[in-house]
Amino acid sequence: MSATRPQLPQEFIAAHKRRRMIDAMSELCAEQGYEATKIADVVRRAHVARKTLYDNFSGKEELFLAAFDTTLADAEAAIVDACEAVPTDDWQACTEAGLGALLGFVAAHPEATKLCLVEAPAATPASAERYETAFDAFIARLREVAPQWPGRPATLEETLVGGAVWIVQRQVRRGGGAEAPELLPELAEFVTSPYRDVGKR
Amino acid sequence: MDRLPRGRHGLSPEFVAHNQRDRLISALILTLADAGYQKTTVSMIGRRASVSKSDFYRHFDSKDDCFLAAYDHAVDRIRGTVVDACAAIPTSEWPGRVQAGIAALLGLLAIEPALATIVLAEGLRAGRGIYDRYQAAVESFVPLLRDGAPDPPGAAAVPPATDEAVVGGIAALLSRRVVAGETEDLAKLVPDVLEFALAPHLGTAGARRIISAG
Repeated sequence: MSATRPQLPQEFIAAHKRRRMIDAMSELCAEQGYEATKIADVVRRAHVARKTLYDNFSGKEELFLAAFDTTLADAEAAIVDACEAVPTDDWQACTEAGLGALLGFVAAHPEATKLCLVEAPAATPASAERYETAFDAFIARLREVAPQWPGRPATLEETLVGGAVWIVQRQVRRGGGAEAPELLPELAEFVTSPYRDVGKR
Repeated sequence: MDRLPRGRHGLSPEFVAHNQRDRLISALILTLADAGYQKTTVSMIGRRASVSKSDFYRHFDSKDDCFLAAYDHAVDRIRGTVVDACAAIPTSEWPGRVQAGIAALLGLLAIEPALATIVLAEGLRAGRGIYDRYQAAVESFVPLLRDGAPDPPGAAAVPPATDEAVVGGIAALLSRRVVAGETEDLAKLVPDVLEFALAPHLGTAGARRIISAG
């Protein structure tokens, strides 16, 4: 039986198992919340040995944080790719492309999104801090891309990101992650309209 | 916190009970702001309220039960303050109404940071049951914002999702300030927050004009 199966490199197998544990954590948190999820649930869902989990993670919290970090990195990569496909001086198209990529990511990965947006703020102090740091990063990104003008409200990006996150969080909470892309037209208008008259001030 | 005089004071049991319940709610809100949700205990709440533990359990089944009552009370106080401020301005003066509401909200949270803490910070970390209340509380401000709001110049009516995002964005801003312990200067944010709230309905130029006019 195993004589005819090709040998996969050790690193590939290890990375695949790690991925399965992270996905299992996302799925279980989406189903029953962080607190109710036990290591036993994760190893069962991921089809790994308990030892394998503890070889990779010190415990439940570290696995949860790894799931958060991995999901965030994947979402950021999708956003960056979308923005790079757009002409560099068109900030509005770049912002809309980035938003579209984010909503597409939400639709493709609803459990992982729920872990980041719904579970992380409340799960542990470390996860709440991760959440705030990610929030700060989105604010900084919007500030980099969007036009600046003297006298603009200092809190503009904070309230825009806050509002967009609120809308997406609500959508994910009510189980509508798959329909997230439908939010794009109104969200894009919401995020870009404060900057549109910049040249006319 | 004033305790009722011991012994025969001629007050009805209902009044005493109500007084105790209110004191326990206030005590939870204040203790929560000092100690955080995990470290707050029934004993601490009782001590602060000058209510015995057995009397605590006449009013509430548990710390969580008291917490829910306190949360609802805090939301009602905040909402009531904003509603009253808006009601003082006619609906025909929409920008002025919104300004009054935002000024009242930020003013209240600045002088009563414990209210801000339970609704916007500790409440969110306390667990699953609270988030639905938080969401409902934030959403309850959307009709206040939309009441009498004009359509933007030369464009279609503002969809409800936009005003929902405005209210959600303001909640996020306030929540971050509370978590960072920066509630004293909240009133300074009124112009920024007002511009953000007015812009979808007045256009960005229109909103800026109102803010510059003071």
